[in-house]
Amino acid sequence: MDRHTSVARTPVSSVVVQRRSKSHRLSYRSNVGTMSHLGYTPGFSKRRLTTSRLAPKHSRITEVNPEQLALLVREWQLSYVTPLYRFRHGQLKSYSRQLAAFMVSEQQQGVAAEVGLESALKVSFTLVAGMAQTEEEANTVFIQIHSKPPFSAPDDPQKLLWSGWLTSVGGNPDYLRSLPEDFVCLPLFCSGGTEGLTALVKAWFQQTFDCCFGPLEINSVNLQWLAALWTDCHARSSIKQLKLVWSLPAEPPLEVTYTVHPQDAWELWRSIRQPGERGGEEEEDGSVGLEEVACFIKGLKSHFYRHFRVELSAGRLTQVSTALGSAKHGGRLKISNSSYMITTLTLLTECALLKMPI
Amino acid sequence: MDDLKRRLLQRIIRTMPTQMLKTTLSKWARLNIEQQESLDFTQPKFLLTDQLLALCGESGLGVKHITELEMIYIIDNPNQRLWHAYQLLEAGDDAHSVEVTNFKEQFKVHLTELIRHVSIKIKKHTDEAVWIRIAWGDRSSRPNHLKPTYVVHHLQTPYVFVTNLTSKTMPLLSQALVMATRYSSMKDANLSGRNLSAVRDLLMKQFQQVFPSKHLQPLGKKNQINSNPQIEREQDEQSETRLQIACEAFGGGTLPELQKAIYTLETKLKDNTNKIMTEREQPFRCVVTFKSTNILESLRHSAMTGIASTPVTPMLSSISQKGRNHFLITDKGPGPQRKL
Repeated sequence: MDRHTSVARTPVSSVVVQRRSKSHRLSYRSNVGTMSHLGYTPGFSKRRLTTSRLAPKHSRITEVNPEQLALLVREWQLSYVTPLYRFRHGQLKSYSRQLAAFMVSEQQQGVAAEVGLESALKVSFTLVAGMAQTEEEANTVFIQIHSKPPFSAPDDPQKLLWSGWLTSVGGNPDYLRSLPEDFVCLPLFCSGGTEGLTALVKAWFQQTFDCCFGPLEINSVNLQWLAALWTDCHARSSIKQLKLVWSLPAEPPLEVTYTVHPQDAWELWRSIRQPGERGGEEEEDGSVGLEEVACFIKGLKSHFYRHFRVELSAGRLTQVSTALGSAKHGGRLKISNSSYMITTLTLLTECALLKMPI
Repeated sequence: MDDLKRRLLQRIIRTMPTQMLKTTLSKWARLNIEQQESLDFTQPKFLLTDQLLALCGESGLGVKHITELEMIYIIDNPNQRLWHAYQLLEAGDDAHSVEVTNFKEQFKVHLTELIRHVSIKIKKHTDEAVWIRIAWGDRSSRPNHLKPTYVVHHLQTPYVFVTNLTSKTMPLLSQALVMATRYSSMKDANLSGRNLSAVRDLLMKQFQQVFPSKHLQPLGKKNQINSNPQIEREQDEQSETRLQIACEAFGGGTLPELQKAIYTLETKLKDNTNKIMTEREQPFRCVVTFKSTNILESLRHSAMTGIASTPVTPMLSSISQKGRNHFLITDKGPGPQRKL
């Protein structure tokens, strides 16, 4: 854990919390060699980013609560969001009202034309328990926007217009501790609904909590991580298939879909994981190394090259999917199985923290 | 019956652009000029359907006539479906003498012998192709006109193109076709695509093929301005060689539009750095799909730019050279071909 210690170099006490100045806050990125992470080559800094992760364990969540189930249903568009200023988990009811009012007023100004707000809106903020991994970590917040058609009876089903959530799973505790008191860090924002509505929700957050949003792409290295981590789960929960999609820069563009039989993918993974140091069959709590992930993908690529003599490395890995979930380069995520969602979200939380511009 | 008429008409109208609907209706010629002119094409499609349905009632047109309308539309716009190619094997002595009337009659007789509830419509198109529309029923139910199978066969050729066929009805169609065309069997040609003429051209090798030659012909355009003549010449030669090789593998000029090539690999994973997998008995099972708006052109471009190494592997060049885009690869050579 040596790589995180320098976070404390700037004394927290010296940080003057001011609403408009964020430059005082510690940067997550400033402490880690981002290049090594994004560029996939060992950087000059000794403090390289995650080259090793815990192997996915069956989630600590013994019973999946209904709020968590809501996170599974659909495909989400990912964004990062900077820490929220004066966000209070105790005021979710009031936020629900404020956001609803905000949306109506924006609509009246004509800004949000054509987002389907003709009818009355019902906004609800709820807590999703059991996601935070440490004491410091803030609880996940789930937001839903329903519409009430004008002439409906009180018990008519409401139409879900938009949903989204802000989360932090397994964020670096040192970084979280270093944040000034009034900031709440929920760096991963997942949205599902029309772009217009997403933009409105973001605008309200920006205004209310002085934060900013940005798109979160899942780069090739992280897609490879997901491919390996999901494959690792196969023995306990079938992944059905391992599907990888590459896009190659030919004219017209060429897309290669590589679908591997789950058992064979897992055996390839095991064959790479085998060599020593992990103490026999008891790898349950073992860690997965970046070089193992690279080796796994290399194995798949070389099998492909042997047959087709086409360089997948010339293109870009754009999508990974298994029965546990799917992730796309453009920042779209679907979680299909709650058991291993903590592993997936830990990785994405880290991506979001790295992406923050401060 | 009226309900079926409505649903059938609804489906046709929904898929057709309005302009197309106008021309298709006049080709259909079941409505007189006055009726055709009375149609208001600016109204929403569901209202147009009602109006058209009323006109059909007026003129006493039934399901049979409406399927005719569908057929005209499909013949003019075949590229909205996925077409599978099949090949007829072992022509009988009289296979060459089969002509349209005879084929029609024979096909109908044989298919109705095999299955009682079936509705068949055959139309000869201008380009010598025979188009067949089949609505299948089963022992107890009437033919389902909402899920028809279309078959295109060019008389005197061993090729058949089929869309929307189930494994259940496959043997029936195969048998009726084989008997009507005087061949002895029919096999899957392992080729499919959305563009019917491209599938046909590929199978009949109707695209520009490039043959190996020792003297390279300048296929591409040469650069006019040479900044460094020697380097330029060397690069030109290299890229010309690659272009030649790429065209030999995939064909020259504009290539038939195929959207996919699918390889099912059941081969051993051999990797010098991975002893465990190399020693493993079982094959490594995976499916690789290449997708593009025109995979042959994408692959040719890849070979030209070096994304695909040259010489091009037969795995890829087989698409144009064998006219196939479904492959099963095992260590014992190409897998057994499915016979029907």
